[in-house]
Amino acid sequence: MTSYIEEFNGIEKPKDYYDDLFVQLEKLNDEYHAFNVINKDADCGFLFGTKANICVKGFETDAGSKMLKGYAPSFNATAVERMLSDKRFAFAGVTGMDEFGFGTFGTNTEVPARNAFDKEYAAGGSSSGAAVAAALMKYHVSIAESTGGSIATPAALNGVVGFTPTYGSVSRYGLIDYANSLDKIGVMARSSEDARIVFDRIRGRDEYDTTCAVEKITSERRKKIFVINGMLEKADASIKTSFEKLLNRLGNAYEIEHVDSSMMEMAIAPYYIIAMAEASTNLAKYTGYKYGLMAEDFYKQYNEFFTDVRENFGMEAKRRILLGTFIRSASVKDKYYTKALVIRSMLIREMDRMLKEGYILSPTLPIKAPRIADVRKLSPVESYSMDLFTIPPNLGGFPHISFPYDYVDGMPLGAQLVTGHGNDYAILDFVKSWEEGFEYRYKTNLGEL
Amino acid sequence: MKIGLEVHVALPTRSKLFCSCSTEAAEPNSSICPICMGFPGSKPMLNRGAVEAAMGIANALHCPINRGISFVRKVYFYPDLPKSYQITQMEGAVGSNGYLAIGEKRIRIRRVQIEEDPAQIIRDGALTLIDFNRSGTPLVEIVTEPDISSEEEMRSFISSLRSMLYYLGVDINKEIKADVNISMAETRVEVKNVTGIKNMIETLRFEIERQTELIRAGEEIARETRGYNEKSKSTQTLREKESDEEYGYVFEPDLTVFDIAELKFNEPVYANDVAVGLANGTDVSPRTVSEIIMLDRDSLRQIERLRGRHSLRSIIHGIERYKKYGRAGRVADKVLDNIVLLIEEGKEVPKEAIVDLESGKEARVEYSQLSDEQLDELINKYLEENPALVREYVKQPKTINLIIENIARGNGLHPKEVARKLMPILAKVAEGK
Ligand SMILES: [Zn+2]
Repeated sequence: MTSYIEEFNGIEKPKDYYDDLFVQLEKLNDEYHAFNVINKDADCGFLFGTKANICVKGFETDAGSKMLKGYAPSFNATAVERMLSDKRFAFAGVTGMDEFGFGTFGTNTEVPARNAFDKEYAAGGSSSGAAVAAALMKYHVSIAESTGGSIATPAALNGVVGFTPTYGSVSRYGLIDYANSLDKIGVMARSSEDARIVFDRIRGRDEYDTTCAVEKITSERRKKIFVINGMLEKADASIKTSFEKLLNRLGNAYEIEHVDSSMMEMAIAPYYIIAMAEASTNLAKYTGYKYGLMAEDFYKQYNEFFTDVRENFGMEAKRRILLGTFIRSASVKDKYYTKALVIRSMLIREMDRMLKEGYILSPTLPIKAPRIADVRKLSPVESYSMDLFTIPPNLGGFPHISFPYDYVDGMPLGAQLVTGHGNDYAILDFVKSWEEGFEYRYKTNLGEL
Repeated sequence: MKIGLEVHVALPTRSKLFCSCSTEAAEPNSSICPICMGFPGSKPMLNRGAVEAAMGIANALHCPINRGISFVRKVYFYPDLPKSYQITQMEGAVGSNGYLAIGEKRIRIRRVQIEEDPAQIIRDGALTLIDFNRSGTPLVEIVTEPDISSEEEMRSFISSLRSMLYYLGVDINKEIKADVNISMAETRVEVKNVTGIKNMIETLRFEIERQTELIRAGEEIARETRGYNEKSKSTQTLREKESDEEYGYVFEPDLTVFDIAELKFNEPVYANDVAVGLANGTDVSPRTVSEIIMLDRDSLRQIERLRGRHSLRSIIHGIERYKKYGRAGRVADKVLDNIVLLIEEGKEVPKEAIVDLESGKEARVEYSQLSDEQLDELINKYLEENPALVREYVKQPKTINLIIENIARGNGLHPKEVARKLMPILAKVAEGK
């Protein structure tokens, strides 16, 4: 499979290419709500969109939240700065997301994006708009972000590649924080090659992000693939059937080994504890008097003022603030937060050991794409459990990629491949060779030349 | 009685703790950026200079230096706190388990930590204005164990601490802020945010009186947080003691563990100890020396420079006169040399003399008046007694200055007067050699 970026930049574009494209995109966007903002000034270069929690100077970057309505940052995120300074690319606009990244299906925001294959279905979250944009447009990549699966999940549900690099390989400067020790900027694209090109463009040290310290990326091929028994069991029967077929196909080139991993199986709880503890501190800054939503009445006592203005968070955000604040409080901190940190380092050790030997492969989600109406019936815990497969690599900061491997009832299925820290190129290579024998399907190819 | 202090002082850096904004700005809200304003997406970027300065302090307080330091978020809502959390330190602090000696006693130091200062709130009638210039300014907080047991000890602790900080480059003109914890009985009372040393002492005095009174009356002392009121020189209840429960500390994930093994910091100067060393074997008390050098590195330098040549008493006397009458803010070696010389000659050094010396003129002081004959006799006698110096002069004509100085000093004579007579005599003697 070729690179759409290279293909696009090699073709002569008709004179009104961008004007026509944006007219069509706006129309399509009214149906799918992939973009919050479309930058119609773009007129040269391969288009890239940014998730609404990645700062773009002068463009509304609301992180899907009412609390940040109208917030146009005064600076570019490092990743955006690096894209903009490359003539191959042009900024397409800001893509929608679950409020502050809190969601598995993209429904925790005012106007949720719709699945690119069927508008009745969830787009997946939290980088919902980013995935839909990549699936709707032929020549487009999305810069997105994952905390616990926010790239892999929507990529799987929209049939595109979702690449989440090693934690610390791409600067988070300008990323509106969800959980700083987990947040990773990554790429969603129609091919692994495009994901690699963009990754290479945005990665590397940045003095503005202390945690961005991974410079060396390798491509060490593994001959073995691990499948975690206890986790695969939890997937729906139809998912298991399709996934077994995938394993059979890969069985020719790789040694498939079914193993148990107690750490990976219990990763959901420590993940949500750490994520909520950090999130509740990150959300403390939204107080309605410096940026974004502005309070109307300032003649109140401080406590009353803060309480009133913070009513504007969505339901899921409020839940995470409350739980996160509880988890941090001194009397239960050791019981939850400290323990979660311990389990996290145990998980990293266990996965590290496995990943030295082979990749870890799983379905990206335990279910098929759900209808939006059904997502709304899920309890929070049921919803959190959908992150079963995506959480372990995210909690450990391991690079992982979701790639489409099958279509069932017209909807795409994604598989997730994980490798060791810094070995990001290996999984991009893996998907590249997979793509040679796989035919991607799309419903729309907006911008086709 | 147990007294513990949490002392806050500004670290001497030109830029803020987590961004490159200047720490010295006048116009409100002129030295701000996305980082110190806590704008969404910004991340802290640790200032090495601040860490080095804090390490110097931790080292001076005898804290074993940890290899890695880390930060935590302390969450609370107040308009002066742009992120609604303050980045500070707990377990990963720059130093812990140290002490500062006051005389024979050691006041144990629980922790030395780096933290960011919040913005400044300015009340203007019904308005609350916020100046973010101060937001993110680096502070060091020094937390003692409750080892201080009297006002006297608190005074000497603060004065030693201040002197130590001064020698590490901390600007002591910037006000010290402290939380003062006082327990006369079992219950700990915390007085928050006391500004300046004077108020710290007043706070202590008031609390001793208040708590003693309560104990005498058989009443219970409430565990609480109080505030100090400068006007009434008294403390009042602020709120029930808040616990760490509410701050919900978590590890600051944007900074990770910072390796400080390679950082450099300055060695401490303990003025009291230095004073003892200097005073040893002299007729000056260590206390006198320490009073002079406590907060004055220039005086210490001068004493060390002149110590081999002059008596400590004359040097100190000279420094005192110079500081009293000289132009403020500068001590010229040459001027001080002359002042000390005059003192050693037994001269009073009046203000006019110092003004003269500072403007490069001769000092207006009284000299012994001798006739030319008496002077000739004196010079000849000196040269006879010091043939080595004469030989030296033949080889090195510059030696004449030393000879002049010695004769003038030994006899309370004006060096010019000595020089006038000495030159022809010396020339003749030299010719003979
Ligand atoms: Zn700043």
